[in-house]
Amino acid sequence: MAFWFELVATGLITGGIYALVALGLNLQYGLMRIMNISHGEFLMLGAYLTWLGHTVLQVNPIVFLPVVALALFTLGVAVYWLCFRRIIRTAPAVEMIEARSLLVGFGLMFLLQNAAYLAWGADLRGYSFLAEAVDVGGARFQANRLVVFAFAVGASLALLAVLRWTLIGKAVRAMMQSPTGAQLVGIDTRYLHPVVFGLGLAMAGVAGALLSMVYEISPGMGEPYTVTALIVIVLGGLGSALGSLLGGFLLGLVETFGMHYTSPSLKMLLSYAVLIGVLLARPKGLFAR
Amino acid sequence: MREPLLAAQGVSVRFGGLVAVDAVDLAVHAGELVGVIGPNGAGKTTFFHALSGVLVPTSGCIVIVGDDLTGEGAHAFARHGIARTFQTPRVFKEMPAIDNVRFGLEFAGRTRSHAHDAFDEPGTILEFLGLADVAAVPAGGLTPSKQRLLEIGMALGARPRVLLLDEVAAGLTHAEVELTAQLIRRVRDELGLAVIWIEHAVRVLMDYVERVAVLHQGRKIADGDPRAVAKDAGVIEAYLGEQGEPVTEPGRKAA
Amino acid sequence: MRRFTLRDSIAATVLAALALAAMPWLMSDFALALTLTCLMYAGLAVSWAMFCGATNCLSLATAAFFGMGAYVTAWGIGTLAYGLGVLLGGLAAAAFAALVGAAVLHLRGAYFAVITFGLGELVRHAITYYEKAYAGTVGRVISEPPETVTIYHVVLLVSALAVVTALVVRASRLGLALRGIGSDEERARTLGVETRRAKILAFSLSAFFPGALGAAMAVRWTYIDPLSVFNPFIGFQTVLIAMVGGAHTILGPIASSVLFSVLTEYLRLQFPYLFLVILGLLLILLVLYLPGGLASLLERWRWGKSRA
Repeated sequence: MAFWFELVATGLITGGIYALVALGLNLQYGLMRIMNISHGEFLMLGAYLTWLGHTVLQVNPIVFLPVVALALFTLGVAVYWLCFRRIIRTAPAVEMIEARSLLVGFGLMFLLQNAAYLAWGADLRGYSFLAEAVDVGGARFQANRLVVFAFAVGASLALLAVLRWTLIGKAVRAMMQSPTGAQLVGIDTRYLHPVVFGLGLAMAGVAGALLSMVYEISPGMGEPYTVTALIVIVLGGLGSALGSLLGGFLLGLVETFGMHYTSPSLKMLLSYAVLIGVLLARPKGLFAR
Repeated sequence: MREPLLAAQGVSVRFGGLVAVDAVDLAVHAGELVGVIGPNGAGKTTFFHALSGVLVPTSGCIVIVGDDLTGEGAHAFARHGIARTFQTPRVFKEMPAIDNVRFGLEFAGRTRSHAHDAFDEPGTILEFLGLADVAAVPAGGLTPSKQRLLEIGMALGARPRVLLLDEVAAGLTHAEVELTAQLIRRVRDELGLAVIWIEHAVRVLMDYVERVAVLHQGRKIADGDPRAVAKDAGVIEAYLGEQGEPVTEPGRKAA
Repeated sequence: MRRFTLRDSIAATVLAALALAAMPWLMSDFALALTLTCLMYAGLAVSWAMFCGATNCLSLATAAFFGMGAYVTAWGIGTLAYGLGVLLGGLAAAAFAALVGAAVLHLRGAYFAVITFGLGELVRHAITYYEKAYAGTVGRVISEPPETVTIYHVVLLVSALAVVTALVVRASRLGLALRGIGSDEERARTLGVETRRAKILAFSLSAFFPGALGAAMAVRWTYIDPLSVFNPFIGFQTVLIAMVGGAHTILGPIASSVLFSVLTEYLRLQFPYLFLVILGLLLILLVLYLPGGLASLLERWRWGKSRA
């Protein structure tokens, strides 16, 4: 029993991070059709910021979370203004927005990843934080994993609440359905787009900060998370925030159980098999009606 | 009786709980010019999607010259001689106008011959439409009213037996609408096509068609001579329900 | 000015290929290796643009096709003649593309990009798993590779074939159908194109060349493992080259593959990280300010001249 509990819990902890990463990316795609393939690189930046905060400034990583979120939000607004605003304005069709934003994403990926190599080198970095084991319901976990889980789920739920109950959230959801929707609720997309893009990156930054508490970090750490986020988005449905949350947990569980019963080297194979299976069987996502 | 070119039999289209088209029958014979009118949301465009294979009806079938094509893709409909235009012109924006017309000729048009040999050349079709001088211009650079004409040209390139026109007069000036209506007549007379013409603004249409069908809330509530249909109590009531254009007596051209 | 006809373009390609065929006897080893890289990327980019440029579908499957071809060589070397391996590599990739295309080509936009990327990774992970579990190794050593001159001529032949195929497709009904699909797929269908068949056919045709090039280039590595031949970078670089050159043209991708190969050769070895930072920046600027690619510069210049 305890063994099952531990397996499920591990799956959910992994899934919480996946959900958080996917939510930000999905929000950007759903609202603006920006397929930001460099999402994982911003996660990496969040992780390095936290590491710097801990090792250089001696700040508690949890205390540092809001700083990371704000920094990434600001960066996101800047990146939107510098790159994506022009694409959305000049692209003749939605498909061109997707194609061009994907290419700009690749550009950002090369740029950020290699700038990180230049700045911090290829070595794995890390610090120890709340590494002692805690007993929960008969299973033992590292305390930092529980913290990570709590914050990942907390941040995801907070975002869902914002989407559901605030005016800006309603506008975003309306916009995902039709571009004129936001005008009906009286929101100016000139401000909405950069804010949402910044929000997406803030999510990625928080995820990176959380990951740095548990794992060692490197400039290339973000890329697999981008791929995983894409899988989660497809699982949950493009543009569906709740779908991303559920999809994240689902993928976390599938990976954990799959790896336990087959072999850890099959992790990515499993993810991709799930992705392709879902895309073929339910292209609109598992939870689409 | 002659076999109809295009026959819709009990065609219904449902979206979830909404019935957009409800058991509509419509048969069209060679050389007929049939108008389809109806208030907003009457299901006209959805009905056209079903007739052209863009959308598979939930029930009922569509028979083209004796072949039941229900469930086949739009390309099969096109190859059987159904060509259409869209409400908002859907031309290939990056291609020169002449390639837009060539497109239909190269694909759907290859399987049949035109009544008019001259119409086997994209250039002739453009000339017929008065677009010869813009043959090399990318379609996206044409004015909206020229894009509408070009769309008719694309459909003609497909060498249709039945031409489906979805609100080709929308957004045109009054003079342009008259010209378009005359053009539609000429297409029918010179090429011997059957034409089904949907219009929301019905005034001009009623002057030019010999038969009109009225859709209301997905159902066909009238079908026959425009004069008789305009007097039909059910039709008047359907149109009174919405503000705007009432059905006018045909034969009286608005100034 | 007379427009180039299909025959002129094919003749020009053949002449260029013949001239390039003499290079092994005129060039230094270093220059020859560089030319080989150019040829490979030209073949990859032109075949990518053949399908993706016309239909506006963003395929990231190039790495998958390339890697499959490479593994055909890796598994067949010693038993298969080199040329036959190249042919089989191409056919394997084309067959795979047809199979996969039938399943995924109804997807568009980001979905299609994601799934084609995923497919490459899926094949890579599957081969890694298979090799570990059944062959007991991760990589394979290529013994007795063919002479560089032979490899060069085979790659030249495949890439020249890719260019000729792209020219023929562009002038054919298939090319017209693909452009229609790229512009408005449903409209193309209502004009009689069986878009599904056209897309599968073109996707499969465009997959032959990366497959054949993978098989041809595999022998350049002495050691092959899934990570190196299914390297997503090969796919990204191909997309970049094609889009920077102008994916709706044929000359554009050829020109930009020369540019990229030379840049890569000189900068990447000396400043590996800085090079990629600059590449990233360059890419962003190009997409933002020259979205039609280098080819659009030429078009603008021609347009200006014809108006003057």
